[in-house]
Amino acid sequence: MLAARRVPINPSRLARALVLRTEVWRRFATGVDQPTADSSTRDYDIVIVGGGPAGLALASALASYRPIRESLSIALIEAGDLSNVRKWAPEADKYSNRVSSITNASREFLSDIGVWSHVRDERTTPVEDMKVWDGLSDARIEFSPSDLGLLMHNPNASYEMARMTENINLQHALLKRLDERPEVHIMDKVKVDSIEQENAAGGWPVVGADGFNSPVKSFAKTPSYGWAYDTHAIVATLFHSAPSPLLPHRNTTASQRFLPTGPIAFLPLSPTISSVVWSTRPSLAAALKAAHPDVVAQMINAAFRLPDVSMRYLHSIILEAQAAGTPLTAERVNEEIAWRERSHAIDSQSPLSSSDRAGAVGIPPVGSEEYPPLVTGIQPGTIASFPIRLSHAESYIGEGAGARTALVGDAAHTIHPLAGQGLNMGLADVQVLAETINKTVLQGGDVGSYTSLLPYARDRYFENHKLLSITDKLHKLYSLTNAPSVWARSVGLEVVNELDSLKGGVASRASGSRSGAGWSGAAATGLESVIGGVETVKAVASGVGGVVGAATMNLLRQAANSK
Amino acid sequence: MQSLLKSSARVPSTLLRAFSTTKPLLLSSTRKVTSQAHAEPLSSVNASEIAHFSRLSSQWWDERGEFALLHRMNPPRVQFIRDKILEFKREEATARGEDSIDEGKGVLKGWGALDVGCGGGLLSESLARLGARTLAIDASESNINIASLHSSADPHLASTLAYRCIAAEDLLAGDSPKKQYDVVCSMEVLEHVDNPSAFLRTLGELVKPGGHLFLSTIARTPLAHLLTITMAEDVLRFVTSGTHHYSKFINPEELIDFFRSDLRWFSGEPTRKEAEVRGIIYLPWRSEWVVPPRGTPGVTSCNYLFWARKPLEGRLQ
Repeated sequence: MLAARRVPINPSRLARALVLRTEVWRRFATGVDQPTADSSTRDYDIVIVGGGPAGLALASALASYRPIRESLSIALIEAGDLSNVRKWAPEADKYSNRVSSITNASREFLSDIGVWSHVRDERTTPVEDMKVWDGLSDARIEFSPSDLGLLMHNPNASYEMARMTENINLQHALLKRLDERPEVHIMDKVKVDSIEQENAAGGWPVVGADGFNSPVKSFAKTPSYGWAYDTHAIVATLFHSAPSPLLPHRNTTASQRFLPTGPIAFLPLSPTISSVVWSTRPSLAAALKAAHPDVVAQMINAAFRLPDVSMRYLHSIILEAQAAGTPLTAERVNEEIAWRERSHAIDSQSPLSSSDRAGAVGIPPVGSEEYPPLVTGIQPGTIASFPIRLSHAESYIGEGAGARTALVGDAAHTIHPLAGQGLNMGLADVQVLAETINKTVLQGGDVGSYTSLLPYARDRYFENHKLLSITDKLHKLYSLTNAPSVWARSVGLEVVNELDSLKGGVASRASGSRSGAGWSGAAATGLESVIGGVETVKAVASGVGGVVGAATMNLLRQAANSK
Repeated sequence: MQSLLKSSARVPSTLLRAFSTTKPLLLSSTRKVTSQAHAEPLSSVNASEIAHFSRLSSQWWDERGEFALLHRMNPPRVQFIRDKILEFKREEATARGEDSIDEGKGVLKGWGALDVGCGGGLLSESLARLGARTLAIDASESNINIASLHSSADPHLASTLAYRCIAAEDLLAGDSPKKQYDVVCSMEVLEHVDNPSAFLRTLGELVKPGGHLFLSTIARTPLAHLLTITMAEDVLRFVTSGTHHYSKFINPEELIDFFRSDLRWFSGEPTRKEAEVRGIIYLPWRSEWVVPPRGTPGVTSCNYLFWARKPLEGRLQ
């Protein structure tokens, strides 16, 4: 009886001294190791461990290069069962709670490797505006293409800054694409049991796309640095009414409010469905997860609207109720929120009010477009939470006993979700690694060698490091509650927001330059030169670059390219 | 590669004649290299160089060690070979009235390649992966052992790559009928041989008429001394001291002149279809060698790549 198939990647039969290939065979759960004679017993030139978005994208990207396809055999090993992803047939009004913002650069890459055409487009939503504000001071920054004057320069430019996509939609598309590429041998329900190597001088290229607890990383003994934030992220799929009765099909604004406990982000998925990513203290995350979904919905509405002092009060009562074993009812939370609103002089016609208006129809109050639509319910079973940590492998290429391994995606780095960059960083890794391997093949090189992998690490390590540290600093900056810090970061944010000339200048400089280096250089220089000076303010500005910058730069590049 | 040709084996007398020339060869005004016409057996191989590289042979495939710089040099020099060959193939295709050629992986498919002074086989493996039936030779037995061992790990190479411990002169003399190759490469070897003019003539003989010869070596300039000996060997110790000898470095103009006046592969200033010299420089901050664009001034005054095509008639009249 074939229970769990476990595969030791063991090159020993080939490896007397030096090995370039990998032999993969099945091990039966009876405990007896026996290489089977079936077709899965064969050698591969590249083994990818991990069938998440990064691993599948790497397989697709490698197979999209003809020189690689024609000369190297590729296997992908995934411990889980991919058949659920293959068979994914979602109901139209239900969305997964794991979503990502795919930047235009990532989407371009996915189109190039023939994947994006398999993504179910109707289940993705463009992000055309971004609103970010400070939970303590309400200082705001907004980015939209019209702010940037892009439409004047280029009437055909798209408003789109990024595309909200369910992760499973992307994974499903990747698998469909790989179905067209029989060159890649996918083995799911196969756990990598051990990775062995007889001689450090040889081996076989193994790419770890196997997530934070990467077996490939442990095999390569690659140390990581990093830390767990005292923060968990709650995710859920939210139902709400259309943001505007005038534009019932438009829900294209991503919003993020920085509370001292962590940022809460509202990410559009359809006109009446959005996703939330709420980073907060682990105890509070646990209490919210245990609470009734209606309570969570009200808490989310409040978290985007009520002053911090009231949020802290709501947090305390929900924690107390949790500790006492008497969970709060939705009615009780509604009353509490209504009471807090009255004490802040928020009347029911204010866009800040959420207690009376949930489900209300008619013209929404003036200013309500500054806030995300009111959540009316949560899709059952979608409330989940996960710990947030920062980690960065010290090297992307294994050395010594772990030679001939490379890490991509979460195996190489994990990031705070506040900038929505995790998946995009992984896709950028994959793009560069595939390009690097293709170049090596064209130059007759050995794809697993340190020298041939070096350009991958060189191009990606510092880029990822920058994003990781900007995001980390932003998280820490917005955790501060003392007045000078709040003032400094708020001034920074408002200054950037008010400087249309800066935004416009960046845009026009960018439209003049055609190269990729040009736009990012221009944007970075523009931001830095205007805001530089006060150190704290500068920190805020670079933070802004992290959250909004990625999307903005996409936008600018798009403008530059389409000119 | 940085290795050597061959121990001073006895050279058959027929060969001696083939290499003899009555007129002394001027490689430069400061360095007179005479082909040692009638005196002792002719060999370009230097015994102490062989010993030097044999000692280091176990380190050939340590990509972070002694030969790290050479490992990093391999991709751009293969790219140079690839680009040059593709340039020719494109031209031939145009002449035949075809629109495009296959620029995929197997750019050397169906061709015979010879790698002279292969060392650990860094370049040889690449030539074989590009599709050439490759013979790689080296005068050091231990280099050949290391190279064969390493290539045996890649089953793709089994049928296309062969190693032999033999000097270029002996290979030329031993093959009957005379075997010639579409592509002959000798990378980072010229600066280690004793009798460069004889060595170059041997290489020239090994190239098929219409075939390609690729060399890489180091120019004899103060800059080259500073970078390849003072810095790389003495100060930074990237490379074992004694690897390079300044007096053995050869300038690009000297090479061009030799191919013009001795081998008569072209006359006058060579066109881009006849011969070309390209600088190759190391960028420490990127850990990478680059070949700067054609015509960049000053870049051939240290490491450089050389390419020449043997005329279809063998030599010009």
